[in-house]
Amino acid sequence: MSKSVLGLYDDPNQAADAMDALKEAGFAQGTFDVLTGTPYPEGAFGEHVPQHRLFRYPAFGAIIGFTLALFLTTATSIAYPLVTGGKPILSVFAMLVILYEMSMLSAVISTVVGIVIESRLPNVNPGVYDARITEGMIGVVITTEDDQADSAIAALNGAGAMEIKQA
Amino acid sequence: MASEALHTAGAHASSHEEEHHELPARVEPDVIASELIATTEANASGVRNWAWILGILSLVGIVSFGVKIGVEWGNQAEWGYTAAIVAFLFSAFGGAPLVAIAPTIAKANWVRPVARFAQLCSLVSIVISIWMIPMILNLPMLVVDGARRRSIWFEGPDVSPHVWAIVALTTLIICSVGLIWAYGMPDFAAMRDHGTGWKQRFGAWAARGWIGSTVQWRTMRLRIGMMGTFYFFTFVFVHFMLSTDFAMSLVPGWRDAIFPMYHAISSIQAGLAVTVIGIWAARKYLGLEKYLHLDQFWSIGRLMFAFTLLWGYFFISAFIVFWYGRSGSDQMWIDYLILGPYFWVFIGAVLLIWFTPWWWLIWNKVRRSYNGTAIGAGLILIGVFLDRVRLYVAAWSVPEDRIHERFLTEYPSTVYPDVFDILIMVGAVAASMLLVILATRVLPILSVWDVQQFNLLYRPVDYMKTKVSLIGKPD
Repeated sequence: MSKSVLGLYDDPNQAADAMDALKEAGFAQGTFDVLTGTPYPEGAFGEHVPQHRLFRYPAFGAIIGFTLALFLTTATSIAYPLVTGGKPILSVFAMLVILYEMSMLSAVISTVVGIVIESRLPNVNPGVYDARITEGMIGVVITTEDDQADSAIAALNGAGAMEIKQA
Repeated sequence: MASEALHTAGAHASSHEEEHHELPARVEPDVIASELIATTEANASGVRNWAWILGILSLVGIVSFGVKIGVEWGNQAEWGYTAAIVAFLFSAFGGAPLVAIAPTIAKANWVRPVARFAQLCSLVSIVISIWMIPMILNLPMLVVDGARRRSIWFEGPDVSPHVWAIVALTTLIICSVGLIWAYGMPDFAAMRDHGTGWKQRFGAWAARGWIGSTVQWRTMRLRIGMMGTFYFFTFVFVHFMLSTDFAMSLVPGWRDAIFPMYHAISSIQAGLAVTVIGIWAARKYLGLEKYLHLDQFWSIGRLMFAFTLLWGYFFISAFIVFWYGRSGSDQMWIDYLILGPYFWVFIGAVLLIWFTPWWWLIWNKVRRSYNGTAIGAGLILIGVFLDRVRLYVAAWSVPEDRIHERFLTEYPSTVYPDVFDILIMVGAVAASMLLVILATRVLPILSVWDVQQFNLLYRPVDYMKTKVSLIGKPD
């Protein structure tokens, strides 16, 4: 059975110490994290910075949209071959507006989907949390097995946690 | 912190004493959260009364809209003022988010307290989509009287401008909502944690379980950048479509490659102006002096001044081609859109978009004052409105049966607004303002997390014989 333990700190340095203490106590990177109400500079707490793949979503969406638009404009131009201004039936400049617009629409929609997925949202089981985090307090949260919870609590308290919460 | 910047905006040498202003004091994060969330409840400042007044005006506008649809349907010339107000609202409110996007991407610190309001302005694209209905339905088909009219849709089906305008506007609305949501998620969480009643429930729903973890903050920076970039690309594209399909292509002989850019540049100028007026009102009526400093007004004032000068550059760039071109269509452009039936509107626009703001905002003292910048912004907004009237009312008053002429030789006379036009325009502006005010009831008008980060990374420090802002820049 796993357990979520949260240590609350009002001093960022203490939260950074807590992260170090958890590392020294042998807890694996990725099992503990820091929760803040405002973004601190990356690595300020010595936290594990996970990789993301958010850039793939707009690129994938733009390719899909572009392909669909290319198909739409090409197919309709070939289906109704009207020569306009002496230009070729398949004129890139006449297609550009639609290519651009559909690429954008598809990229935007896929980015919104990517944001939801990459941000691990909706977070239906956020674990232990404290509303004071959005007031400036810093939480250090760890998810661990029941038998290791005491060790985690000791590490968090050792760094000067003003409160420990468990769930 | 990878680097730190010494920012000497607050104090220079004593010989420039008159340019000094107080450096902002640091505010504790819990105070920021409680004070900014309190603004969503604020009624002492009369927000509710304003909302009622704007709501009634919006309703009057919508009713007038319905009456006009019933009476004037199919008469293109009667919808010129609706087209003008749509173009104005899109220019002013649509341009505002760029005030937040560009400096945020450039990691400017001053923009933090301004970004939320600027982004909320993009919600007005929802109002625009409603007011655009008669424009789209009254826009001539591509084939008129058996012949294809001149447009950017060289080979498209008959309803191409209508359909793709809807698609473009839909993309813009998705970008707007996506940008506001992506940027606002931590503040929805703050509303969930500290709000009350339905706003707390709405915050919990919109926060989607936000807890401020490392991965959430890391992707947050990226999604703001991405959605902001998409907004910019869609914004310029909608300007391109609006200016070509709903203005230029309606006037035979009007061919101006600079016009879409002119449209977008004046929109950014108007967006800066709307942002200044918004933060000026927030500072004055919501008691946010602690968070909105001279630095924001001064920075936007400088940008506004730069775009005021750019307006002149873009206008002259277009004008000089027609002036020296001297062909029939070139002369038509000058005679109809400048010297013609809207000459005095044009003069008013030039004076208020360019000449007066130029000689007003040129002064450091003006740009470094709250009221001075707001006055400049007000002038610009009126000027941009007049400019849109000059362009769109003139374009929409060209009868459909003359759309195939090589260029206009006889100019339609001045179309004056009737009572419905006035109510529709007032209603559109009121609905836009109401939407922004209502949005500030569920999200604080200043971003809690961004203002907290401003304070986290900022220190007023002594530097030799003066005081400077020390700003940490992550990344």
